[in-house]
Amino acid sequence: MAKDDFDPHALLETLERQRVTYIVVGGLGRVIHGSDELTDGLDIVPSTRDENLRRLGLALEELNARRSDGKTPALERDLAREPVLELQTDAGELKIVPEPAGTRGYDDLRRRAMAQPLGRGLRPSVASLDDHARMLAALGREHDRQPLLTLQRLIELDRGISRGIEL
Amino acid sequence: MRAGLSQVELSQRSGKDRAQIARWERDVVVPSLETLRELLRACGFDLELTLVPYEEDRKQDARLQKALERTPQERLQAMLRARGR
Repeated sequence: MAKDDFDPHALLETLERQRVTYIVVGGLGRVIHGSDELTDGLDIVPSTRDENLRRLGLALEELNARRSDGKTPALERDLAREPVLELQTDAGELKIVPEPAGTRGYDDLRRRAMAQPLGRGLRPSVASLDDHARMLAALGREHDRQPLLTLQRLIELDRGISRGIEL
Repeated sequence: MRAGLSQVELSQRSGKDRAQIARWERDVVVPSLETLRELLRACGFDLELTLVPYEEDRKQDARLQKALERTPQERLQAMLRARGR
């Protein structure tokens, strides 16, 4: 699978078709909020309820998802072992992150996530700008410094001076 | 978040009203610097402030402002076009 074949609409359409409940995070989520970076994959935080994981498993089958070792993912087993499940699919990279750094997972992010229209009738829930900044800050990685500064500036530009500071 | 405290626990430790903590969490208002420091200390952390040079990046601001004026769909399309270059 070449990185040039990344097709976020195809990934999202499959998740929607299988009625998976999830929130978009990571580079693509930041781009949707206005960050000027490039990304090669889709990162999602799924609800970890049994029925949802079953639906996610069906979506992964449909996308012909493979782990880095070429094996078919076994969701519950893999998610119990790894904090991030990195997969290659027919529509590009897909990362499944049940509990991103600095968060308590789906239920935590859901409260501030918003449905974002992306065309082809897709309106996935995308984590808020603040939560994206929170996740990057919690990771504390040097290469995330610039994306984090960009997010912080986006937050400032987006809000202008509309928010009050308590005295 | 790093201290793993609930709003009630943070309220008990800091002496601040739980409803007020909820307002800070919801980003309705932001606490003053002094209050933020009190909250962090109640969690076992402290805030270290360091002066660093700052230079406004007008070009980046213009790019980001333009991105904010686009729809989410347009932002995604712009990124996919840029990847193809």
